[in-house]
Amino acid sequence: MVIAVLTVASVCALCLGTPYVPPHRLVGAVLDGDTTLAGVVVNELRFPRLVLALIAGACLGAAGLVLQEALRNPLAVPEMLGVSSGAALGVAAPLVLTLSLPAAVQPLLALGGAALGGGLTLLAAGLGRSPSAVLLTGAAVAAALQAALLVLMVMADQLDLQLIYRYLLGSLSARTWEDVTGLWPWLLVAAPALVLCAPVLSVMRLGDEDAEALGVRAQRARLAALAIAVVLIAPVTAVCGPVAWVGFLAPHLARWFNPYAGAVRWLPWSAAWGAVVVTVADVPARLALAPVETPAGAWTALLGVPAGIALMRSRRRDRMTEGSRTGAAAVRTPMPGPRTDTPRPDVEAPPAGGRGNGSQEEPGARGTAPLPGETTGTEDPR
Amino acid sequence: MRWRFVALSALAVVCAGLELVAGRGMSPGAVWDVLGGGGDATERHIFLQLRLPRMLVALGAGACLAMAGLILQSALRNPLAGPEVTGVTPGAVLGAVTATALGLAGWESPLAVVLAACAGGCAGALLLWLLVGRGGGDPAQTAVHGVLVSAVLGGLTAMVLLVEPGELGSVVQWLVGTTEGRVWEHWHLLWPWALVWGVAAWLLTGPLTLLRCGDDIAMSAGLSVRRARTLALMCAVALTAGAVAAVGALGFVGLLVPHLAMAVFGADLRVGLPGAALLGAIVVCGADAAAQLSSRLLAATLDSGRLTLPVGALTACLGAALLLVVVRRTPSRTF
Repeated sequence: MVIAVLTVASVCALCLGTPYVPPHRLVGAVLDGDTTLAGVVVNELRFPRLVLALIAGACLGAAGLVLQEALRNPLAVPEMLGVSSGAALGVAAPLVLTLSLPAAVQPLLALGGAALGGGLTLLAAGLGRSPSAVLLTGAAVAAALQAALLVLMVMADQLDLQLIYRYLLGSLSARTWEDVTGLWPWLLVAAPALVLCAPVLSVMRLGDEDAEALGVRAQRARLAALAIAVVLIAPVTAVCGPVAWVGFLAPHLARWFNPYAGAVRWLPWSAAWGAVVVTVADVPARLALAPVETPAGAWTALLGVPAGIALMRSRRRDRMTEGSRTGAAAVRTPMPGPRTDTPRPDVEAPPAGGRGNGSQEEPGARGTAPLPGETTGTEDPR
Repeated sequence: MRWRFVALSALAVVCAGLELVAGRGMSPGAVWDVLGGGGDATERHIFLQLRLPRMLVALGAGACLAMAGLILQSALRNPLAGPEVTGVTPGAVLGAVTATALGLAGWESPLAVVLAACAGGCAGALLLWLLVGRGGGDPAQTAVHGVLVSAVLGGLTAMVLLVEPGELGSVVQWLVGTTEGRVWEHWHLLWPWALVWGVAAWLLTGPLTLLRCGDDIAMSAGLSVRRARTLALMCAVALTAGAVAAVGALGFVGLLVPHLAMAVFGADLRVGLPGAALLGAIVVCGADAAAQLSSRLLAATLDSGRLTLPVGALTACLGAALLLVVVRRTPSRTF
């Protein structure tokens, strides 16, 4: 499925456009090299762009899965942890302040920004807090960084402004082979780290206490996961901006297609789906409003968020029917009924259902939702 | 209770005074001269045509946002349901931006901006309503979906801005929220709108207080929960739309000021709602004064004239810091 969609999307990305290259002439065009117009366009413009989309998507998808699994929260996406905003701030600041920097420094700046954002989040959350507290803090940090970005935008010139705005949404337009080759060193660092951390992730799913019992230090593991995510996201952000919500959608797609796999197997799938998402989004981004290019990030935000919500919901519904069938799972994981109007006294209990097969959604769905109505009940002096 | 109102009113006056004094182009002494009836023509113009409406708009918008946040939090029984996370503010921004991009509205016709913002805010709230309505009235779900709806609306706004890139410069200020360049026309649009919907909200405070107790209690007290909630949400959307059309998406005011109001005035909304309005006005006005002062300071140190700190950036940073404090102080299990 992934491979089929990926192939179709890649061929579309290479063929469609103003000089339309029919699929059967594609190989010829690539081999032609610089001699024909089609060859130049395919080799120098569309091919690097496609490769970049694939790499960026894979990185973002993998990072999204790492964060979601480490924080046990289906909404723990880089956008909501301050990581993306931090990286974007790191790149945009010198652009506005008109400091001229060599291109090689940009990933470093993005890395610094991302680490700043993520580190600020963890620091503010106090490292020892529950995953959802980390998330809420992250949202606050992200908002503050976003505000800083907007201040920069207000200061910028009209021309800079368009450039920055386009960048901030995540755009793949006018990227060349140089941008692609700049990514390799970072990938070489990130890939082994990902492989190393995958088994730990599947332990983290059991919940902090069980993970500690199995010998994983939950806080350190979370910190490491964040570091890996930063290394994955920052270089991509430096090149093509924070392509929004890919880290949200791709892991959900991976889980949807392989519901019973573990974190270890979801990781490559998530990366693959991330690549698919970005590649697919880049096609309408290039063609929808033809002479004007729209940034791919706007499309991923527009289409990715509803799709992600739909996936999250249908999975929950699936699990509910399944739980009532098997019974045992339903006992272990109290599912939130569709209409829970009364406060649930068991909410503060740690996500005990984490050991079941399909329950990683549950604690997050409840935990993210920062402050459910229960708190109102306790706060109101009545 | 009365002395709290008096003290806060005094604070509001102080903030308003600071707001009048802060800002460039005119020394504090000149302000005093103008207030006393003197001053030259330029100073009088700056004071009467620029600073006074700016101060009033800041006060009004702060009050609107705070009231809207309190209504939303009460009606949805969700302490995190600020207008920003329920899709209302992003929707209103989208409406305003779309209207501007289509050429239906602009600086010369602020009324159209208000109406477009209102329509957009309603659309955002409706979207959330549709999403959550089927999933049930669980406040936790509402908050999660609100964030996602905001993301979608943000993406749409971005699309509109990219199709009409010429508008970008004038529209960025709506994205961050600023009181820069607000004139009497904005104020003339804002105050009747705020007054009408503020009074409507105040009339709803009784049912709202019941709604805060939970649907079951409200229903057993004889309240038509669905109708009361719809009316309250309408009020909140209208108030937010007015504020957004006037000053843009001021971050965190609608989220955090209601909590402040509950801490100061208690849970009775008949007192809390006017209190929240007062507090919101103080916060936005004070933040604007601080933003102007600090941007003057920054401009002096960095020696660049075009640096202006919009008030929205300040409220967002302050709000984020405050939210962090709240998160840290609350035991982790409540989240």
